[in-house]
Amino acid sequence: MHWLSKKRNILIMLIPTLIVYLVYMIIPIAMAIGYSFTKYTGIGNAKFVGFNNYIRLFRDHTFWIALKNTAVIFVIAFVLLMIGAFVVALLLNLNLKGKSFAQSLIFSPAVIAPIIVGILWVFILDPQIGLINAIIRSLGLGQGIKWIGGQTLTPVSVAIVYFWQQLGYLATIYLAGLKMIPVEIEEAAQIDGASAWQKLWYVTIPMMRSTISTVAILVITGTFKIFEIVQQLTNGGPNHISETLITYSYSATFTNGEYGYGMSLATATFFISLVVIAIYFGLSKEHSRKEAS
Amino acid sequence: MNKSNRKTGFSTGAQVVIYVFLTFVVLLAILPFLWMIMLSFKTNSQILSNPLSFPTTISLENYRRAIQLLNLGNLYKNTIFIVVVSIAIELCFTFASSFALAKMTFRCKKTRSTLYEFLLLGLAISPFILLFPVYRINTIVHLKEQMGLVMPYVASSVSFNTLLFVGYLKELPSEIDEAAIIDGCNLGQQIIRVIVPMAKPVIATVVVFNVLYIWNEFPFASVILHNTSNYTLALGASFFKGKYNIDYSGMIASSTLMIIPELIFYGIFQKNIVSGMTAGAVKG
Repeated sequence: MHWLSKKRNILIMLIPTLIVYLVYMIIPIAMAIGYSFTKYTGIGNAKFVGFNNYIRLFRDHTFWIALKNTAVIFVIAFVLLMIGAFVVALLLNLNLKGKSFAQSLIFSPAVIAPIIVGILWVFILDPQIGLINAIIRSLGLGQGIKWIGGQTLTPVSVAIVYFWQQLGYLATIYLAGLKMIPVEIEEAAQIDGASAWQKLWYVTIPMMRSTISTVAILVITGTFKIFEIVQQLTNGGPNHISETLITYSYSATFTNGEYGYGMSLATATFFISLVVIAIYFGLSKEHSRKEAS
Repeated sequence: MNKSNRKTGFSTGAQVVIYVFLTFVVLLAILPFLWMIMLSFKTNSQILSNPLSFPTTISLENYRRAIQLLNLGNLYKNTIFIVVVSIAIELCFTFASSFALAKMTFRCKKTRSTLYEFLLLGLAISPFILLFPVYRINTIVHLKEQMGLVMPYVASSVSFNTLLFVGYLKELPSEIDEAAIIDGCNLGQQIIRVIVPMAKPVIATVVVFNVLYIWNEFPFASVILHNTSNYTLALGASFFKGKYNIDYSGMIASSTLMIIPELIFYGIFQKNIVSGMTAGAVKG
């Protein structure tokens, strides 16, 4: 291989990827951070304003609402998905009839466009025309509940839609982890007389630690990217009460044309998601250290 | 005494519970699709007044309107164009760079691993922080509309493709490419005649995964495409949602027409889709 690995050859092979990656992935992040310190309306030049946008952000009521909504979505989706997908994976790992058919149906929501997922759920959650309220009304249980568009339930509904979309996908990742556990270990636990619960708690879950981390990272980064679902369900409204960090930064940037402020929101969102990942890693490391000692 | 099943190790009662629960999960997953298909045969006033009732007649009126008003043919054409161009470019770029990272000899070993890790960083980057800067860069380099969308899609694919390609190419035995070189192949011939045929499975996975990503992508498309005649399917999906009124039946029919081809695609390439989506996650 050496004689073909001339420096010139390596460069020719690497340069196209590197250029596209730098120009459309790395430089934009630097630009976003840069713009977040400016006031820019799209006309003329961006004006440097120091930390003004971040000060404004701290005083912005809508930012805190968006942060709260994002946190609610995150917590509910995280708990539901981490546990729900694990349970589904455990079931799919059993020797059941029709399990591969079931698996492919449960996986299917992850394949379709998120914007269509949002549209589909409008027809289920909408207070007037949605399926759930139609059932509630036809059973004579009252006028139904304001699943979307109201003060409190919208982020919960978004989390549930996200749960629906991701369940099969994350279960499949768990399943891949379950298949990697050596059969001998499970058999050894069985011979030692471990009950199903003991086996799950002392063998399966500890052996799945890295898969569980993977799923956790996917849920954390995923919930900070939920956009189309919110946009279709409420578009952040009415009056910004169902805004999330992403939808708020999008509308500040592209609807209101406040590019500088929008970029400070986008940058803040990006760092918040990195902090959540760091916290998760900190917690899980501490946990495994405790267990080791 | 409980008769437990040899295969699962559960009693018959527990098995029934498991089957019922799994059936419930499956129903939960497909119910929104079934609901959509049922609604798509109903008129706007039926949807508004009595959503639960079954459609009395199967009316294809919604579909006719969706196809006409949306210009669905054009949406498909635009989407397929962007998919084909983006994937052709990204395959050439990322396969070459992954080959260099996996198979070529770097004078300094550290350079290789640093580059590899650098190219994987993108997995942690949310597209939403990139939207406005990418829009600005496009105006600077004079790319707009469809071509302006291709480059961010290529860039978004770099991390995933590098992860899968490098992982796969490293596993290929190096005796084969050494033999090819001894037989007088140059670098280009070696890649096209020897490496690419061996890498077919991973290329299939990468292609299918990226087709799906671009097909479904909304944020970049919404920022970069302005001309309605260039809209992709994902952008067209919200066409029936006006600012003040919503054409529910048009929306549901067009959504159905967009989902069905996608579910067929999933049915055909299920193995590649599932392995791509999970391999990317498990290895990353």
